[in-house]
Amino acid sequence: MSPQPQAAVGAPLSRVDGRLKVTGKARYAVDHEIAGAVHAVIVDSSIGRGRITGIDTRAALDHAGVLKVISHVNAPKLPYQRNPLPTAPPGERLHVFQDDKVHFHGQPVAVVVATTLEAAQHGASLVKVTYDAQQPSTDMADAPAGEPQKYARGDTDKALEVAAVRMEMTYDLARNNHNAMEPHATTARWDGDKLTVWDKTQWVFGTQIELAVVFGVAPESVRVISPFVGGGFGSGLRAWPHVTIAALAARETKRPVKLALSRKQLYFGTGFRPTYEYAVRLGSDRRGRLTAMTHDVRAETSSYETFLESVLIPGQMLYSMPHVSQEYRTVPLDVHTPLFMRGPGYTTASYAIESAMDELADKLGLDPIELRLRNEPEEDESSGLPFSTRRLRECYAVGAREFGWHRRNPGPRSTRDGDWLIGTGMAAGVYDTARNDAQASVRLDADGTALVQSAASDMGPGTYTSNTQLAADALGLPMGKVTFRLGDSLMPPAPPHGGSWTMASVGSAVQDGCDKLRKQAVKLAVEDAKSPLHGVNPDTVVVRAGRLHVKHNPARGETYQQLLARNNRTHLEAMGSFTRPTGPERHSLFAYGAVFTEVAVDARLGLVRVRRMLGVYDAGRIISPKLADSQALGGMVGGIGQALLEHTVTDHRDGRIVNANLADYLVPVNADVPDLRAIYLDGDDRDADPIGVKGLGEIVQVGVAPAIANAVFHATGRRIRELPITTEALL
Amino acid sequence: MSTELPESYGPPPEGQPSPPSRRTFIATTTAVGGAVVAGGGLAAGAFPFTAEEADAVEAAPSGRVSLTVNGERHTAEIDNRTSLLDLLREQFGLPGTKKGCNAGACGACTVLVDGRRVNSCLTLAVRLDGAEVTSIEGLADGDELHPLQRAFVEQDAFQCGFCTPGQIMSGVGCIEEGHTGSHEEIREWMSGNICRCGCYVKIVRAVEQTARGK
Repeated sequence: MSPQPQAAVGAPLSRVDGRLKVTGKARYAVDHEIAGAVHAVIVDSSIGRGRITGIDTRAALDHAGVLKVISHVNAPKLPYQRNPLPTAPPGERLHVFQDDKVHFHGQPVAVVVATTLEAAQHGASLVKVTYDAQQPSTDMADAPAGEPQKYARGDTDKALEVAAVRMEMTYDLARNNHNAMEPHATTARWDGDKLTVWDKTQWVFGTQIELAVVFGVAPESVRVISPFVGGGFGSGLRAWPHVTIAALAARETKRPVKLALSRKQLYFGTGFRPTYEYAVRLGSDRRGRLTAMTHDVRAETSSYETFLESVLIPGQMLYSMPHVSQEYRTVPLDVHTPLFMRGPGYTTASYAIESAMDELADKLGLDPIELRLRNEPEEDESSGLPFSTRRLRECYAVGAREFGWHRRNPGPRSTRDGDWLIGTGMAAGVYDTARNDAQASVRLDADGTALVQSAASDMGPGTYTSNTQLAADALGLPMGKVTFRLGDSLMPPAPPHGGSWTMASVGSAVQDGCDKLRKQAVKLAVEDAKSPLHGVNPDTVVVRAGRLHVKHNPARGETYQQLLARNNRTHLEAMGSFTRPTGPERHSLFAYGAVFTEVAVDARLGLVRVRRMLGVYDAGRIISPKLADSQALGGMVGGIGQALLEHTVTDHRDGRIVNANLADYLVPVNADVPDLRAIYLDGDDRDADPIGVKGLGEIVQVGVAPAIANAVFHATGRRIRELPITTEALL
Repeated sequence: MSTELPESYGPPPEGQPSPPSRRTFIATTTAVGGAVVAGGGLAAGAFPFTAEEADAVEAAPSGRVSLTVNGERHTAEIDNRTSLLDLLREQFGLPGTKKGCNAGACGACTVLVDGRRVNSCLTLAVRLDGAEVTSIEGLADGDELHPLQRAFVEQDAFQCGFCTPGQIMSGVGCIEEGHTGSHEEIREWMSGNICRCGCYVKIVRAVEQTARGK
């Protein structure tokens, strides 16, 4: 731990990029002014499976302003080498414009490039594509599944046979789309054989590598720039086909090309949280001690790639029980490939498990919190490892107190407010604390300002701000003297901006780099005969407000500027790094949360309104409390959407997504969201990473949907085992 | 753009509407302003072209328009299909206004036209002769932020920032209209602006703080 005084870290500071964002000056993927840029619009397949038999581009090419129409008919053969990144799902990705096959409704079949956006849009509408269509298979209920991933401990069948209490439930979760406000978009420009793209991505290196292997060029020939990302929630974790199309269109037209997907195209041009069917069987004794649980999970994937996520982990470690058996199958369909969406796997599993726990509590007449306390494990029973920190009991206690849980009448359908049935519910949340290798460069200039850089991303959580806070404290500079830059593949590498590991990974690298640089400056001073710090033990020197001084004798010291000027140094530099510990983990690392909510359900109309919500989190050290609070409230809003509104609907007759727009795919709006409250337990977790954080982005959505579902049950006495919970289901 | 549904699919099940014909499809997309690719420039509501008419279009009809944007007078020859949003972004170098859905459903493109908040994606630029438009770039007074911009920063009423220009312009309109009597009222009148990061609680606080300070 740094000996430096903590001033910026932990302080409720505003975003360092706030001014740019409120003045419209933050530049997103197609906001950059690129001289000579033309516009590209993709033509989507109107069949769900089959073959393209003809593409008539004459009308489009005759349209004023249209420069080129590219399709499999005239596209060059692209190398499409294997993507070496471990993040690429097993299978073979879609190759754009390389053959006449159509794998899903909406697949890109051509792209129109024109001098203006209007001409490109109109041109795209003039491309006539004919098909030999086949019946697509898009309904998971009717399709065969692949081989399962399995996990087992104990003898679940036998344990269930002898269990005093047995229950069996199946939960269904609808497909969800990320629907970040910024549509995915790419601006691409070739300078000779060098490609520069301004991309909406959560990982500039992911886009860089994908483009390099698709076009068969060296990664160094591809530069990816992404200073601002208008939301991601996971959808920017891989380079989707349109990124390749933008680069291809730029190469074929020899012009910089801007390509933004329409809102509709996002539903089949980028990923989604897959449809799930999650079947649970559980056994317990009469006091509610779980003995066994089985989890049979089915999820949709595409016909060409197998998408898997961590849906099995919560069932292995959230509660104590000797017998667990799990099978997780994917069902290949004529759809495009899913991708991680906020709290991937865990939100799905927690909905099933936390609903099942609520059902068990109701059956046994136990308070839902008491049931969970009776099943709290002493160690991680999936690995036998001790928990680094697991303060779920505290989350329950603080949450119950602050929410007023004890005032709850335990009986379902026991509270009314006029036409409204009132219910409260709670659920636990868990998400694993992962971290990955990262680097950050640090430069301190002679004027006493510092520049810290890492090729990270900031899709909204505040990477810019929190890393500036860390750097300011470690360097002993005021916030205003430190600039943190991210989002350029020329910068030191950072891992994908997802999985809640950016703070732990990039933050630890920033901390390391700034510590190194500060120590370098201290060494320079104590070894400099002309420095007032000459001969002082370096361990006793701290830096505050840009001035190095003896910790217990602030009068003895000098500023960075004085030190560098006297030594004729224009700057000092250091490279910080964080390396994920190798070898087996010594601790079980997870963030935890407990969500409490009150809902009102119209007794006759079945409308569900969330009235209030509280989340209490054990998420380690909080670097930037103001931003962390926003992130938690945002996770709750995401959970409200998942619980009550969000459902991507496919017409199985032709594989078309019928609500591919924001008027029919409902997300929470302002009027859907009451006052929300988040509490982070004070603390840190030094077993997780050097800066003691456990990650926030995912844990804040996990547990929200089941808390709402449990509250709906408490309000109405009706158990709805599907998400979203709709008015129709409650009528 | 595409063939009709192949016959092999058979008729739709009982009670389902028939697949739309091209004519009704275009009329529908024009009405709701949807389907950027399918409707193309038509999405902005230009003309209900039939396919044949659309094919016949050689060069885009255009019109001459004079309008004031952020206090600056512009006169331009504008493709009739151009929305105010695309005019600002692509021709006036003002990319602060965002395209979130291009269909009037998300509010990211909200600007003030003659003092009223509008979805600039659904507003044809050629109709705006003589109009006064204020976009996010025109809200601050030099370096001095508008009180609502300041409140958004103080309250942390955004995360990714993409919907923020629209939220702020909408908030300015909401305050001007006087729809700020309670949290419920603000929520209702700010519900045309989606924030997927989920900053609604703080957006309400920022609007309330600014309205109170007026």
